[in-house]
Amino acid sequence: MNPTDRPITNPIVVLREEFDDWAVLFNPDTADAVGINPVGVAIWKGLDGKRNIDEVVSEIKDNFEGVPDTAPEEIVAFVDKLAEHGFLGHELKNDNS
Amino acid sequence: MTRPLAAKIAPASSMGMRTPRTLDIEVTARCNLRCRYCYFFHNPAVDYRDLLTNEWLTFFDELGSLGVMKVTLAGGEPFIRSDLASLLEGIVRNRMRFSLLSNGMLINDEIADFIARTGRCDSVQVSVDGSCAETHDPCRGKGSFNGAIRGIRTLLRHRLKVAVRCTIHRNNVHDLENIAYLLLEELGLPGFGTNSAGYLGTCRLNADEVLLNTRERQTAMATLLRLTEKYHGRISAQAGPLAEGRMWRRMEEARAQGAPAFPNGGRLTACGCPRNKLAVRADGAIILCNVLAHTELGRINQNSLSDIWKHSPALNRLRDRHTIPLTDFEFCAGCSYIPYCTGNCPGLAYTLTGKVDHPSPDACLRLFLEKGGRIV
Repeated sequence: MNPTDRPITNPIVVLREEFDDWAVLFNPDTADAVGINPVGVAIWKGLDGKRNIDEVVSEIKDNFEGVPDTAPEEIVAFVDKLAEHGFLGHELKNDNS
Repeated sequence: MTRPLAAKIAPASSMGMRTPRTLDIEVTARCNLRCRYCYFFHNPAVDYRDLLTNEWLTFFDELGSLGVMKVTLAGGEPFIRSDLASLLEGIVRNRMRFSLLSNGMLINDEIADFIARTGRCDSVQVSVDGSCAETHDPCRGKGSFNGAIRGIRTLLRHRLKVAVRCTIHRNNVHDLENIAYLLLEELGLPGFGTNSAGYLGTCRLNADEVLLNTRERQTAMATLLRLTEKYHGRISAQAGPLAEGRMWRRMEEARAQGAPAFPNGGRLTACGCPRNKLAVRADGAIILCNVLAHTELGRINQNSLSDIWKHSPALNRLRDRHTIPLTDFEFCAGCSYIPYCTGNCPGLAYTLTGKVDHPSPDACLRLFLEKGGRIV
C-alpha cells in the first residue's frame, strides 16, 4: 500500500466496538476476527475509498495527541496487515480511456 | 523519544464485550424425536411454542446491528422448520455465521446444498449415540440411527463440516469403541465430541434407566481416555466422562503433591458462558443458558438485547458467580479437592439442588469416590 492509495473497507466486515474503545473486525465470510485498538478504529473509519492514506494520517494527527513522526509508515503497515486479512481493498474503477 | 503510534492488531478474544458475540437460539420447540434423555423437553418453566418467521428475522436484524458474530440454532429439531432457509438468509444478511444442532434425520440434499451455498456455516452437529440401531435407537426412537447416518453422509456430500456429538448413557457405555470406529474410521470424520446424559428435562423422568451409575461412569472414563489416546486426541469433551476423567486425574495429582490451587480453583468458576453469549428459547424468552431455561431476562423484539447484556441483574449475578468460594458451602465442607475444583455446571447445580449458586453434585469428585468410584 502506498501513501497515495485510497483503500476501502470490505463492506462485509463487521466492526464490533467493544469496551475501552477497542474493536473487533470480523469477516463472516472467512470467520477471520482480529482486535484493533482505538487508533486502529480511527484509521478503519477513515478508510472510505475517498481519502488516501496521507489524508488518514493527517486526521489521526488532528485527533490524537503525541503522534510520532513514524506515524505514516506505521499506518501503512497497519493498513497492509488489514489488507492481508482481506478486511479492505481498493475500489475498482472502470477505465474506458 | 516519541512513543510509537501503536495501531495494533490483537487477538479478538482478549477484550471486554459490549454485546454478546454469540447466541444459542432454540428456533423451534418441535422435534420429530422424543429422546429419553433430552434436556429440552419436560421443563415446567418453558412455554413450548414457536415464533413466526418474521419474528425471528426482526430479531436477527437486531443481532446484526449489535455486531453479533455467530448464532447456534438448536431446538427441538431446527430442520423441522419449513422456513429454515429463510431464517438462514436472515442470519447471512446480517453478516453472521451459524451452526446447527440436529438429530440428522430431516437433512436432505436440498437444505444441505442451501447451507453449503451460504458459505457461513461453521458446522452441523448431529447426535450419534450408538454404532448401530441396537444401541442408538432405544433411547432416541426407531429409525433414528439410520436417519442420523444418512444425514451425516448428506452433509459430507455437500462438503459441510459435521460435528458429531455422542451422549453417553447406560445403554451405550459398552459401545464406545465401536462408535469411535464408526465415526472416525468408517465415516472418516476428523473427530467427535462426547458428553453424558444429565439430570435435565426429560432425562429426569428416566434417570434410573438412563444415567450412568458410578461403575458405568468409571468404565466410560477409562474407555474414552484409552480411545482418545488411540485416536490421537480426535475425541473431545467439555463435560461428561472424558472431561471428568482428565480433570479428576489432574485434581488427584495436585492433591497428592500438595500443589498450589488451580488458577480457577476453589470458587464457582466453571461457567464462562455469560461473558460472551446468551441464549433464546423457542418462545422468544431471552435466557442465561439453554440449561437454565427458567431464567427469563426479557423477550426478543420487546426488550433490548443490548440493555439486557449490560444491565440484567440476573446476568450480572451469574457473571459474578466466580467470586463465590466453595468453602461457603456445607456440601464442600472438609473436601481436600477444593483448591482444584470449579464447582461445575450451574445448570446441573440448579436441577439437582434448586440453586444456581451452588456446586453441582453431578461432577463432584469426592462424591464419586465415596460411592466407590476410582480415578482411572
